[in-house]
Amino acid sequence: MDRDSILEIRNVSKTFDLGGGRELLAVQDITFNVERNSICVLLGPSGCGKSTVLRMMAGLETPSAGEVVIGGHAVDGPGRDRGMVFQAYTSFDWLSVRRNVEFGMKINGVPAGERRERAAHFINLVGLGKFADAYPSQLSGGMRQRVAIARTLANDPEVLLMDEPFGALDAETRWLMQELMIDVAEKTSTTMVIVTHDLEEAIFLADKIIFLSSHPGRLKEEIIPAFKGGRRIADKERVVKLDGYGELEARLMRLMREEGRHAE
Amino acid sequence: MSPDSRSKRFFQLRHPVGRRQRFLSAIGIWVVFFAIWVFATSTGMVNELLVPAPQKVFATTYQLFIERGFTGDVLISIGRVLGAFAMACAVAVPLGVLMGSFPAVEAIFAPFVSAWRYLPAPSFIPILLMWFGTGEAPKLALLFIGVIFFLITLIMDHTKNVREELVETALTLGAGRSTVVMKVVFPAVLPDIVVAMRQMLAMAWTYLVIAEIVASTTGIGAMMMRARRFLKTDEILSGIIVIGALGLLFDLAFAALHRWMFPYLRKKR
Ligand SMILES: Nc1ncnc2c1ncn2[C@@H]1O[C@H](COP(=O)(O)OP(=O)(O)OP(=O)(O)O)[C@@H](O)[C@H]1O
Ligand SMILES: [Mg+2]
Repeated sequence: MDRDSILEIRNVSKTFDLGGGRELLAVQDITFNVERNSICVLLGPSGCGKSTVLRMMAGLETPSAGEVVIGGHAVDGPGRDRGMVFQAYTSFDWLSVRRNVEFGMKINGVPAGERRERAAHFINLVGLGKFADAYPSQLSGGMRQRVAIARTLANDPEVLLMDEPFGALDAETRWLMQELMIDVAEKTSTTMVIVTHDLEEAIFLADKIIFLSSHPGRLKEEIIPAFKGGRRIADKERVVKLDGYGELEARLMRLMREEGRHAE
Repeated sequence: MSPDSRSKRFFQLRHPVGRRQRFLSAIGIWVVFFAIWVFATSTGMVNELLVPAPQKVFATTYQLFIERGFTGDVLISIGRVLGAFAMACAVAVPLGVLMGSFPAVEAIFAPFVSAWRYLPAPSFIPILLMWFGTGEAPKLALLFIGVIFFLITLIMDHTKNVREELVETALTLGAGRSTVVMKVVFPAVLPDIVVAMRQMLAMAWTYLVIAEIVASTTGIGAMMMRARRFLKTDEILSGIIVIGALGLLFDLAFAALHRWMFPYLRKKR
């Protein structure tokens, strides 16, 4: 891909202090780039440090060594240029869907008129037009996750970071959400970094897959799903049927299995 | 056994009871209570002087309000509870939220606050009387001391339980520390704060009665102590009933306030 990179992860390591003088090396010397307007998927077995890497990109965790660079500046704490969607529900229950989506814009001083317009736009984009005035407690899990996505997108981040955003959803909703993300990526040209341990999800969404090995998390492989021919295909069924899908899935499975064994 | 006949069982193992059954059961236990009371007094089983009949107590309660200006005492008591409670909340809410949000603030105040919680508030009565005399101040101070440290601790604990993801979401949306506390942590914990207030208000009533019984010439507790001097057990029992009724009323009011303030907590259906 001949695009310039927006995020650079440069020789990043992370050691957690477990207390009592014990330390845990969670992530070791990882380097990769995330290209502008691309979808980058972090994949790897459980506990390999995917969330840790993503949280360091968000600025919610500080690297023990190395640095994360966004647009030429080293990341130092969280900021609105890197929006994050968590696996757990993060809807602000005391606000309606509309006000949830307006939240980021409001605290960043976007004028009321523009705020309302953008909120309506993104609420429609994620298909919640009819529920703009509902409270999150009145929505299903998938709908709440869409609120979180709309809220993050409406705040106009340069990078959208998502940590297993669909992990808690049932298979069908999950599938719809994945297609929605392709749609959003095409329409908003937001750069996305998505953590998952679901192979299908990774292959379907990724322009590039960063595969991490476990204990400690290291960069195992950078994989470009070339069989998609550099396009994004919003119909999951079509992707599964393409030549090369099965081959890539088998390869990732093999990697997963190897790493799973190492972990034991 | 058909499901029909099963559903008609009165004592169903770990099965929720319907509205009707709950209502009848609640009425039932009180009917039994008053029946025993009436029976005991009318048959002379107990000394009428020490245990007046319930109908007499209710008549006295009516008289107290209509003819003897008891309303004034009641209002004074309510005023004391609400006044002291409002002052306690004005300190406890911001402090509790800050302690729950910033471990550094907790490190400063927690050792102080938790020590005070082990000091029973009534033990301060003698010194409060010496400091403040017999006016309103010692009563308000007793209620304040009795309530505030528990309130701070409860609010701090609830604030700590606000999910980390909510805070981190706000941070990644570009919020600063004060915005996170005021726009996310506070609204997230507010329903729990109202619940904590409801619990502590009940405790405030307890301290009110202690304060008024020990050192006061006005208020419900003082009326009861006056009645004791003249052996008016019916008036003492009236006082107890009024205090209970007020406690219940305030509890219901807080429950209604909670429902009104937080409509979003109600599920659809
Ligand atoms: N705050 C923390 N303190 C101590 N250890 C941590 C902390 N966060 C993560 N770890 C450890 O770092 C390692 C990587 O964790 P991380 O959550 O990044 O893995 P992951 O790839 O996201 O796993 P999963 O797929 O299960 O979510 C794990 O061994 C975990 O126990
Ligand atoms: Mg994780």
